[in-house]
Amino acid sequence: MRGFGAYLLALAAVALVAATTALWLPMWGLASAALLFLLPVLLASARGGLGPGLLAAGTGALAYNYFLLPPRFSFQVHGIDNVVSVIVLVAVAIVTSRLADALHARKVEAEVRAVASAQAAHFAALLGNGEPDEAVAAALDWLRDHYGPAQMLPMGQVPDAEPDFSTIDRSAAAWTMHNGDMTGHGTAIMPPADWTFLPLSPRGQSGGDVLAVARPADGKTRSETALAQLQSLAWLLGQARDRLALDAERRTRERLEDRDAFRRALLASLAHDFRTPLTVVTGTLDRLAGADEGAAEALDEARRLDRMMDDLIGAARIEGGALAPRLEAVDLVDIVGDACATLGKTLAPLTLDRDVAGDLPLVAADPILLRHVLINLLDNAARHAESRVSISARAADGAVNLRVRDDGPGVPPAERARIFERFARIEGNDRRGGSGLGLAIVKGFADAMHMTVTIEESPEGGACFQLDLPIRRIEAP
Amino acid sequence: MSRILIAEDEPAIRRLLGAILTRAGHAPVFAENGREALAVVERGGIDAVLLDLGLPDRDGLEVLSAIRSRHALPILVVTARGDTTEKIAALDLGADDYVTKPFDGDELLARLRSALRRAGHAQQADTPVSFGPVMLDAGRHEVTCRGASVSLTPREFAVLQALVEAGGRVLTHAALLERVWGKAHIDDVDYLRVVVRALRLKLELDPSQPALIRNEPGIGYRLVG
Repeated sequence: MRGFGAYLLALAAVALVAATTALWLPMWGLASAALLFLLPVLLASARGGLGPGLLAAGTGALAYNYFLLPPRFSFQVHGIDNVVSVIVLVAVAIVTSRLADALHARKVEAEVRAVASAQAAHFAALLGNGEPDEAVAAALDWLRDHYGPAQMLPMGQVPDAEPDFSTIDRSAAAWTMHNGDMTGHGTAIMPPADWTFLPLSPRGQSGGDVLAVARPADGKTRSETALAQLQSLAWLLGQARDRLALDAERRTRERLEDRDAFRRALLASLAHDFRTPLTVVTGTLDRLAGADEGAAEALDEARRLDRMMDDLIGAARIEGGALAPRLEAVDLVDIVGDACATLGKTLAPLTLDRDVAGDLPLVAADPILLRHVLINLLDNAARHAESRVSISARAADGAVNLRVRDDGPGVPPAERARIFERFARIEGNDRRGGSGLGLAIVKGFADAMHMTVTIEESPEGGACFQLDLPIRRIEAP
Repeated sequence: MSRILIAEDEPAIRRLLGAILTRAGHAPVFAENGREALAVVERGGIDAVLLDLGLPDRDGLEVLSAIRSRHALPILVVTARGDTTEKIAALDLGADDYVTKPFDGDELLARLRSALRRAGHAQQADTPVSFGPVMLDAGRHEVTCRGASVSLTPREFAVLQALVEAGGRVLTHAALLERVWGKAHIDDVDYLRVVVRALRLKLELDPSQPALIRNEPGIGYRLVG
């Protein structure tokens, strides 16, 4: 109860007290009557605040003086009584109105806070409901119902075409995106803007997305309380958006994990299950090969199939990042001898020049991977050679340089960079098919073992692959 | 003729192994799982075992050590390619040798033959032992190769002695390193490579194509006669 009514109430209360005390003075005595004048002051200052309280105190003092204090019905004062009563009444008015004001302010604040937290709770419930992107849309709709036009602006995308935004709006939006401050209408930064821009996450945290809310339609300036409320809603929105991003990330990860599990299962199947029928096929062909030329050829192809499976498994290991080479001292004569023996049938129709000395330095390599690399290089050479394949090794500059050459058509310079790609085939140069993975595996395994592999033209005109293997330093055993 | 137990769950592989062994003059006996294999061995009369490590009912390595704990007969394990650790574990548990799928019939028979031969005559220490061109007298610390005396360092001698005594059986890197350098060095394959390199330069006819000391990639060494 504020304003004019409070003053009227003050005067009416004083009048009532003055009338009753004037009438009953002989019975009550002066001291009790004086006390009664506190009542209108208390009432007026509690209900109406300081103004009505002071009015009640002033008029009360006058009425007390005029009606009660001897000589009655005059403003003459004989003692100090009146001064004391005036001071007491004014003091009561001041203290009571202060107390009442504070109580009132606290009540209003509590109401505002209750509304704000109810809004926030409702908003959070909307955001937590159902699919995250739909929830964010529903929450924005609710915001529009309660605060007028609102939209979310993703980081860095102040829509130039947005007709509602003036130049200053765009500047304010950009400021919020980059600095994480609340800007625009109602705030300290660029207040002439027509929109208020609020960051979706506290300053310094990820993202620069922004919530834009238009100034109130009634033309009023948005209050600090409303701004604080909008900011907390914006943060809720930001959290929901983060959850959206996390959800999407999790789904992608799950999909990848599924694919990895499938790949692992496929690899295990290739490594074990496929080998059983292949063992039966090669074993049976092997028994027949002595008597039947067709069986001997089929056996050759079955062995090739087995090597292709090694390539497939190797390619999958490179692809899956599952290569963990164990580098140790390796004697090249072992690996070269093993690779040549494995490819015995493939190399048989060709002349094989082997120039790998028995006293070359030991190299640092993973023996299993290096063996696969050499088999693939020799197999590739054998498939393209006219009549001759050569393998040689020389020590130079802390490395052993290994070369595998053939006397086939060679690889044109333009194609050389491409030759280590998977399924790279050189036009008109494919006499017998390999897996298409062989050289990619050479490159992948060599990289994993910190070796370089290059290709150039061999003196015989064919291809010459070079592998540089680091020399292994060994302390005396 | 020897009676060879084939412990293998795949019927096609069983038939193939049976055919390879029969053709070579052996008498195959079959078991489809680990339990059956152990029962057949217990009944006696078996000269050697071909054991697939991928049996359905029990872990192959478990079957292997169960047989080995009671019988000295040669055991060859059959494994898939790439399972280097499995092969090493099998050798460490007492397998005599291994073959890798897809296996070569001649290779399989050769390994079986030498395993049977080793089982036939156990060797005593401190008497001259030989393998192929190598004669080794442990008591006098002397080695001859193709009749010529060869001087070896103590490490070289110890490695060669271990290989000769194994008589063509694969010795894993760890087994050789433990015997010659001690338990603390079972991972120091580099030491072994250096010594084997030196041995080859002294023993091989052509060190660039070694024919005596054979490397099994990622596993170990064996002598080849």
